[in-house]
Amino acid sequence: MTSSATPIVTEEHRRQLREIIREILELEDDELTDTSLFIEDHEADSLLAIEILARIEQDLGVSIPQEELPEMVNFRSVHEVFARNLANNGQ
Amino acid sequence: MTTATTPETRERPLDGTVPTVAPLALTAAAAVTPAGLGLGALGAALDGNGPEANRATGEIDGEALPPRPTRAVPDLDFAELLGRKGLRNLDRTTRLALVACRLAVDAYPGRLGHDTGTVWGTTAGSVRSSSEYSRRTLTADPPYLVNPSLFPNTVMNCAAGQVAIRHQLHGVNATLAGGPLAGVQAVRYARNAVRQVQVERLLVGGVEELSAQGCWGWHRSGGLRPHAAVGEGAAVLVLEQEERARREGRPLLARVLAAEVGFAARGRLVPSLAAVVTRALRRSGLSAAEVTTVSFGATQRRGLDRAEERAVRRVLADREPERAVRVNTVVGECSAATGALQLAALLADWRRAGAAAGEVALVPALSADGSVGCLVVQASEGLSQVGDPQTGAASAAERSR
Amino acid sequence: MSAAAGERVAITGLGAVSSAGLGADAFTRTIREGRSTTSPVRGFDARAFPHRYAGEVHDYRPRDWLDRINPDTWGRSSQFAASASRMAVQDAGLADDALARARAGSIMGTTSGESAVTERLVDEWHSGGLESLTPRSVDALPAGRIAAAVNTELRLDGEALTIATACSASNYALGYAYDLVAAGEADYMLAGGADSVNRWAHAGFYRLGALAEEVCRPFDVDRTGILTAEGGVALLLEPYERAVSRGARIYAEVLGYSVNCDAEHMVHPETSSIAACMRAAHRNAQVTPEQIDYICAHGTGTPTNDATEVAAVRQVFGSQPPPISSIKSMIGHTMGAASGFGALACCKALYEGFLPPTANLAQVDPALGPGVDPVPGRAREAKPRVVENHGFAFGGNNAITILGRPA
Repeated sequence: MTSSATPIVTEEHRRQLREIIREILELEDDELTDTSLFIEDHEADSLLAIEILARIEQDLGVSIPQEELPEMVNFRSVHEVFARNLANNGQ
Repeated sequence: MTTATTPETRERPLDGTVPTVAPLALTAAAAVTPAGLGLGALGAALDGNGPEANRATGEIDGEALPPRPTRAVPDLDFAELLGRKGLRNLDRTTRLALVACRLAVDAYPGRLGHDTGTVWGTTAGSVRSSSEYSRRTLTADPPYLVNPSLFPNTVMNCAAGQVAIRHQLHGVNATLAGGPLAGVQAVRYARNAVRQVQVERLLVGGVEELSAQGCWGWHRSGGLRPHAAVGEGAAVLVLEQEERARREGRPLLARVLAAEVGFAARGRLVPSLAAVVTRALRRSGLSAAEVTTVSFGATQRRGLDRAEERAVRRVLADREPERAVRVNTVVGECSAATGALQLAALLADWRRAGAAAGEVALVPALSADGSVGCLVVQASEGLSQVGDPQTGAASAAERSR
Repeated sequence: MSAAAGERVAITGLGAVSSAGLGADAFTRTIREGRSTTSPVRGFDARAFPHRYAGEVHDYRPRDWLDRINPDTWGRSSQFAASASRMAVQDAGLADDALARARAGSIMGTTSGESAVTERLVDEWHSGGLESLTPRSVDALPAGRIAAAVNTELRLDGEALTIATACSASNYALGYAYDLVAAGEADYMLAGGADSVNRWAHAGFYRLGALAEEVCRPFDVDRTGILTAEGGVALLLEPYERAVSRGARIYAEVLGYSVNCDAEHMVHPETSSIAACMRAAHRNAQVTPEQIDYICAHGTGTPTNDATEVAAVRQVFGSQPPPISSIKSMIGHTMGAASGFGALACCKALYEGFLPPTANLAQVDPALGPGVDPVPGRAREAKPRVVENHGFAFGGNNAITILGRPA
């Protein structure tokens, strides 16, 4: 790793994250907002939350520790957790 | 006394010490088969009037099928039958089970309630789901990049669990890995659950999906006759205490009088099956002369088909039953769904033939491992009154056919 | 005894094939010492997995134990079940021929059946395509072979039933076998279960975040999950009065059981549903919560299971629940055999007079609340009279058995 700037979440990352979440929670595009809650608004459960985490690792190559799952309650917080781990993963 | 002693000649003969068990009422039935949805479609196909059931598709999910016929359930609109949400991670085994349950619940002339349980027959769960999951651990790098949401599909009681969730069944939830015996075992298990007052009623089902893995397994094992089709399907029966069903005015389609099982030593399948059939009749309080119908299960299973026919012939003293139902000729080899399908086909056949209340059928089962079993079933007055449910599910199926 | 049951039912023979030892006595010695017997995985190449421990059975040679089951044609789980059953029959002091002449059968529980055979088939598929599947592997796949192996090995001609109700399957089996013997449908029944360690479950549990790295620590504040494990277990059931009259050693009486289903979620347990199952088991066994001296927990060691289980126990037992421990701390999670091993430990606890411990426990999780006694470390001398054995499973399937000291 060099001293280059913190990795930045690209528009493409953002699009893929949305796509993963929409697919896993079986949502139409307009149903998923930045702040709509996975469990309360979209009937998600923790198994689906783990699936989101697994797909991010698989499709985007960013590992997120399972301890951070409880933070991932809506799209905005997934985005934040992803950005933090993108930096930690040093890509 | 020798080890070859049969149950009838023992010091404590079963029939002398164990009283006849109260019959179970069969108050609803449903089937999902290569002939379509419902008992009507199955009955028509048994008569040779069904739709063309043979659907050799060549491949499933990119895996070529072996050179032998297959019989698949026609394309179903699962989203319409089961609702869009929550389907994505359910495998075909679970979906077929859920559709059969939906039909059975629609057909049931009452409310299920929380004191309902479910018993399912399986062979090894969805072999496609478990083997694909396992294979993913060979192809993925690192090997743990498996989909967590698909993990429940690899467990054999997945369908039973999903059925309970969907229909809010809080009672006993058992999955019996009996293969061809699973139908008899499930009815026997259900009878115990009702007798122990664990539950008021049960959805008793069997399911098996057509998969490349399963087809090749059958093809390579040599367990089927050369041109026998591998099939798929699911059937569900609602069983409950007879007295309660009558008290609450639910018409009985049939009564299950006995569900007996046993285990044969090597080379003793025919006498062991014959002994179990005899015992089942005796515990029903019936004689072999009263049997009008036999719903066979081992048709096209190499060796087992003849053993089944011979054992039945032995019990019936070489008399041909008036009706012989062979469901496998329509659905193909369906492993653990066979038992439930034998029952569904029996009801469908009786209904089409206008069988009189009181007619008696044998539903035998046997497995290459040595397990043998038999149900004794009696037609009831409700059989002629009740047709397939005219529900959203049924009409959706019509459209999707 | 439940209203619907008939004769009283005794457990007179025990058999075990496990990482903790071969035979009920070896198994019990390990449990009493609180010794962990999990180890690095050998059954498959686990190098690429971050977590590489499991409760495998390493020193088991099937031909030492089996007369009729050929290990070349029967899967590993079937071998485990048949071996454990043969041990149980010997332990009960029954001659083979006498059992074979009686109305006897077996009810065996499993989660993944012949999963080692599944993975052999997957290897064949992976390397040579599906057309290369070997008939020998295909024939060994059906999970029903597990009970069939028991009947074949012991020449039993009664019911051979494999119950695949995942991780509560052995308790399901014990309950059903109890009903059959109590109702006079059988003279003897073997009840138990078997499972084999496999790659796909290891991967699945890891992916669920439910797999411990090296140590399983139920009820500990630092618990991180299960260790997958394997083995076979069998208990021999017979009518109590006949056991007395033939002078059999009676480990325990089966007092009752209950099963129910959360119908809520495939993988997450539900507190009130588990509590309802406990209450129903107590009713069925005609005991009150105050009479329960010990609970053999499902106790998988995942944060969720242990918290849910203890919360359910509190709903039923109040603020001072009886001692509750997990033998999974020592042998890992043997899946479909787990509640069978729990039942075996309960039988020995009742007969020898001790409480099985929870190993690897440094600090009880304060979040479980006050008054939790997981019997840390080694077995505790005690004289339990009535004990409760938990099994919870995928699909929200709860099964609880109640065993009593012979009186």
